[in-house]
Amino acid sequence: MIMHEVLIVGGGLAGLMAAMNVSGKADAAVLSKVYPTRSHSGAAQGGFNAVMGEDDSIEAHVFDTVKGSDYLGDQEAIEVLCSDGPRVILDLERMGVPWTRAEDGRIAQRSLGGAGFPRACFAADFSGHVVLHTLYEQALKRGVKTYPEWHLLEILVDKGRVFGAVIYDLARARLEVIRAKRIVLATGGYGRAFLKTTNGHANTGDGMAIAYRAGAVLSDMEFVQFHPTTLYGTNILISEAARGEGGYLRNALGERFMAEYAPGKMELAPRDVVARAIFKEIKEGRGFEGHYVHLDLTHLGERLVAERLPQVRDLAIRYSGVDPARVPMPIEPAQHYSMGGVRTDVWGMTGLEGLMAAGEVANVSVHGANRLGGNSLLETVVFGARAGRKAAELAPGEPWPDVSSNTVKDALDRWNRLCLAPSAHSRSDDDQFAVRREMATIMTNQVGVFRTGVELEDAVARLEGLRKRYRDLPVPVGPQPFNYGLMDYIEVGHLLDLSEIIARGALARRESRGAHYRLDFPQRDDRNWLHHTFAHTTDRGPEFSAGPVSITRFQPQERGY
Amino acid sequence: MDVVLKISRFDPGMDTAPRFQRFVVGVEPNQTVLDALLCAWRQDIGLSFRRSCRSAICGSCAVRINGRPALACQTLMEKAVAEGEPVTIEPLPHFKLLKDLVVDLEPFFESLKAVVPWLILREDYGGRMSPEVARSLEHPATCILCGVCEADSETSETLHPAGLVKALRLARDPRDALGAHRIRLLQVPVEVLRLFVRELPDKCPKGIEITDDILRRGVT
Repeated sequence: MIMHEVLIVGGGLAGLMAAMNVSGKADAAVLSKVYPTRSHSGAAQGGFNAVMGEDDSIEAHVFDTVKGSDYLGDQEAIEVLCSDGPRVILDLERMGVPWTRAEDGRIAQRSLGGAGFPRACFAADFSGHVVLHTLYEQALKRGVKTYPEWHLLEILVDKGRVFGAVIYDLARARLEVIRAKRIVLATGGYGRAFLKTTNGHANTGDGMAIAYRAGAVLSDMEFVQFHPTTLYGTNILISEAARGEGGYLRNALGERFMAEYAPGKMELAPRDVVARAIFKEIKEGRGFEGHYVHLDLTHLGERLVAERLPQVRDLAIRYSGVDPARVPMPIEPAQHYSMGGVRTDVWGMTGLEGLMAAGEVANVSVHGANRLGGNSLLETVVFGARAGRKAAELAPGEPWPDVSSNTVKDALDRWNRLCLAPSAHSRSDDDQFAVRREMATIMTNQVGVFRTGVELEDAVARLEGLRKRYRDLPVPVGPQPFNYGLMDYIEVGHLLDLSEIIARGALARRESRGAHYRLDFPQRDDRNWLHHTFAHTTDRGPEFSAGPVSITRFQPQERGY
Repeated sequence: MDVVLKISRFDPGMDTAPRFQRFVVGVEPNQTVLDALLCAWRQDIGLSFRRSCRSAICGSCAVRINGRPALACQTLMEKAVAEGEPVTIEPLPHFKLLKDLVVDLEPFFESLKAVVPWLILREDYGGRMSPEVARSLEHPATCILCGVCEADSETSETLHPAGLVKALRLARDPRDALGAHRIRLLQVPVEVLRLFVRELPDKCPKGIEITDDILRRGVT
């Protein structure tokens, strides 16, 4: 049996940041289902919000974030995010991040949506990538032990305390139990629950679903962010930086339609506002070919596009066949980010003893009902670092939790039957690809940018039907190395659990707030709904309860842009 | 369009050598080789290949397409399909084959350590850097560690191009205490490095360009 005082699951920005902060203080290891440099953090383009200039202020960053969150973000956590930000950016600078610079040599900053100030530190439009690789270099320097292509299957709990995890080693097709004093989840989001998503294939919500099954609370899962600008068809992300650098949105009539929806901010309104505006334009017949609008950078000039948005340019040329320096890009909104996740406090502690979480898998909650661009990258490094510091402070002094041999044996028996033994199910005509596609179609069509009670009720019923079908699916059998079919089968199970919670939460919330927009309840309703949604697992399925929002400095007011 | 794929298969438990399996998949011309592989996977769930971001930033899906190492997610089918010929997809060469299109990456990631691939901060660094210098660091920092360069290079076993890119990027970083000394520490003849830098943009899926002025500084 392998033992690590702190087991970090996920090798993206939050996971590596946690590992760095544990390293040297306690024994830590990073487990990841991909190689750490292949984590989805690397796909983030825009930047890291942090107050660096004398004209800007922490208070302004806090206010923009609170307002952007439609007053559902916890102000105590947002204060931490914004206050820790500048220090962490400078730490990253000293680790070697090649930030883009201003003329005076300081770290340059650009405007992203919903911010009252150019506040995002960036490296062209490779911001996530360069920081991910810099942190990986630091992990090499510190000799952090990594287990690449090891999949977390189950968190082991006895008497309410986490004592380890069951792992599937993809290359060697075998199970392993890792004992740990603390587990830090940093596994990212669940974008693949949606047909139209900017997320990569690995984003299947594993950490959220596994933590939930182990007894952790998920919160605010009905809040799903749809990125306004993804390439039409492939949904490859076109960074908000494209609008931050001055890009225009135009409908088929050539109009800059954001003037109708957010005259004060235009294209730099928050994502929920822009995504709804684009959908409305398309729905009302002002889209190109009825399906998409244009993101126009042609007026910015070739030099700016090449210097500030090189990746955007490459992606558009390759996947849409247009050079955005010369021709507008066809774009549509798609699922992008999960505001909800495993409920934590500002140190990454969940309600389940020994379990911690940071990054997109977690809900602290700094994004509330809608996240501002540039705040999620900041969240990963700020709260990844804090979770690491806390784990390093606690773990060395903690006794090794007792190993419940019955719990281990039961879990291993179960996973052995599933992963390594021939399938007990009879061959059916159904397959996991069909189930996944139907789930993702339901989520995009009925649990998307615009929601109604009728459609959500239907979605919940159909997702329940899919869960029944899932139980009868033939399991791709092993043992064989690199059994991606088996991993996909397990991931579909995670996505189905989360989809149901998202849809049920959205059906229950009879108001519109941030990214959650109900056509049948178009107003925000602070009297009844200014609270978090907590989802707990029970034998009967998910149960929901309400939790208070931390409001310290800024009282809720109407949110206009 | 219907396209024939010839995909290399290898099961370490059963096969002594790789063999080809033919798949017929329906793809749009603007779809990628990765999309075609995903179609084939739906026909045979036992087919193993890595993928993740599908937008050429993670490096997972590096394979050999029609004999040339490339990223599957970055290669459009319309470019891969020659008149009437099937598209052949094989694992990266110069790597140990583990299963189907999956190769052993451990030695590749291990090889990075040889160049001390992290910044060693100069004590007198004042926190500022000119935009021009910063820009010169940005481009080499876009290396995604996909391994295509390693597979495409005849001398890769001794050179390890991905490590060299990291070393050359750190060598020009004004924050780094070793700086241009890193060139000498590489113990690679400067002519070899010059040739490497010249050939890199054509071999690298990200088209990484390193200007060779840093090499001059390394030898003086």
